[in-house]
Amino acid sequence: MFDDFSPPSLPQKPRNWVPFWLVIWLVLVGLAIFHLDISFKDLFLGFGDVFEYLARYRSPDFSKYLDYVKLMKETLAIALWGTTLAFVMSIILTPFAAKNISPHPIAYRLIRELLNFLLALPDLVLALIFVSALGLGPLPGVLALGFHTAGFLTKFFSESIERVEPGIYEAINATGANFLQLVLFAAWPSIIQEVIGYTLYIFDRNVRVATVLGLVGAGGIGFELNSRLRFFEYDQAAAIILIIIITIIAIDYLSAWLRSKIS
Amino acid sequence: MRSLILKWHWPSSHGLPPFSLIALLLIVLIALDLTASLAEVDVIRIVKSTGRLLEFARQLIVAPEWTYLPDLLQKLLETLEIAFLSTTFSLVLSLPLGILASRNSSPHPIIFHISRNLLSFMRALPEVVWALVFVSAVGLGSLPGIMALTFVTTGIMAKFFAESIEVVDSKAIEGIKSTGSSWLQLITFAMLPQAFPDLIGTVLYILDHNVRTATIVGLVGAGGIGYELVSSIRLFNYSRLMMIVLAIYLAVTVLDRLSNRFRSRVI
Repeated sequence: MFDDFSPPSLPQKPRNWVPFWLVIWLVLVGLAIFHLDISFKDLFLGFGDVFEYLARYRSPDFSKYLDYVKLMKETLAIALWGTTLAFVMSIILTPFAAKNISPHPIAYRLIRELLNFLLALPDLVLALIFVSALGLGPLPGVLALGFHTAGFLTKFFSESIERVEPGIYEAINATGANFLQLVLFAAWPSIIQEVIGYTLYIFDRNVRVATVLGLVGAGGIGFELNSRLRFFEYDQAAAIILIIIITIIAIDYLSAWLRSKIS
Repeated sequence: MRSLILKWHWPSSHGLPPFSLIALLLIVLIALDLTASLAEVDVIRIVKSTGRLLEFARQLIVAPEWTYLPDLLQKLLETLEIAFLSTTFSLVLSLPLGILASRNSSPHPIIFHISRNLLSFMRALPEVVWALVFVSAVGLGSLPGIMALTFVTTGIMAKFFAESIEVVDSKAIEGIKSTGSSWLQLITFAMLPQAFPDLIGTVLYILDHNVRTATIVGLVGAGGIGYELVSSIRLFNYSRLMMIVLAIYLAVTVLDRLSNRFRSRVI
């Protein structure tokens, strides 16, 4: 009959792994919820309470707004100084952290590891450490923001320098330039727009973070917000939150406008 | 475009840095000078405090307290779980929100504007502020931490989703449209498949961000390793502090390496 006729075997259909990973994901979610002891019943029953709770913020009390504006100014000052510190540090570190122009592989490795360490520690943790070393006040906040975001900026800048086309470096090298001249006349001028863009982005980020530095005693408006909430003064807390939101959104718009001017 | 680039060109024909750069530098310097007193930046104080900083660093060189390790690992696991759950929840919320907030997939311009503004409100405040608010709403524990992280990262993730949906190739959209597809079919067969690699990248970035943030929401009592960190600093327990800081560093670094590897395999 047809026994000796064997159809050409089709290539095996590729296995669809999506359901497998989805099941693993869901099991992990279940385990985490179980382990953290989160009860969804409480969560959903609590939703009514949350709305009742949020209603307590409905009448912001701006009577002490002068104090809050002053604290907000301090917050902005911390962010500005922190960003400047980070900028200065990363200007010095970046030439060593870019693979294509770094003077020595060991310097490159060392700086990269330093960056990883700066990036891995959250800035509030750094702020806590600086507060316990320097005492309370905005200065430890400035230092924490500066060191943490120096890691960010150096990483961004060195990646931009690595992306610049090699012809530019070759041209400067061909004139017999030394390392410093290579950095000053080939590396920085090629990425100046990116440098400004990234610095503005980091400033935005630092303003946000500076609003919470006060929680660990490192200056800014965060301390006031925390104490208002501790004393259940929701009207005052609402005013502070509104001031923070307005400032952050205004800075966002300002830096977006500046960025669009530059590029 | 060309003229703008020329304006930033440096070294310039007259040998000096370009005028716009000098102006920018001057504005920043004036702002720094005006705010120095507010930020209490004082070089003398910094120099004077280096001694104390070194003393503090010296105290950190201590033998680790090994009996604390099980507790530490437990807290670290809790931190990772908070980050994982928040990422999952905000992924579930951001997919629909991202579709509504993307110019080309939003069903109506009004819905587009409403969801864009909602998203920028959600990500305006840092997680720790929302954690404070949620802690005073639902009490201490990891639940307010998860709520705060989910709330803020939904704002970030949905915005990234919307942006990656906006840049998909319009030819594929036209192709699917020409078959007479519905809105939902257009999204599932033309837009999402093209945006998929970007979406994976965004989720990995958010997971990384959430692990970092989950380590600090504990400072306000919202679960995770942060609370241990504060209490060990308050109690001057340096051997614990050292272990916690190292644990945070290791966790963040390992996760970063893993997600880089995964990213280069998928994308």
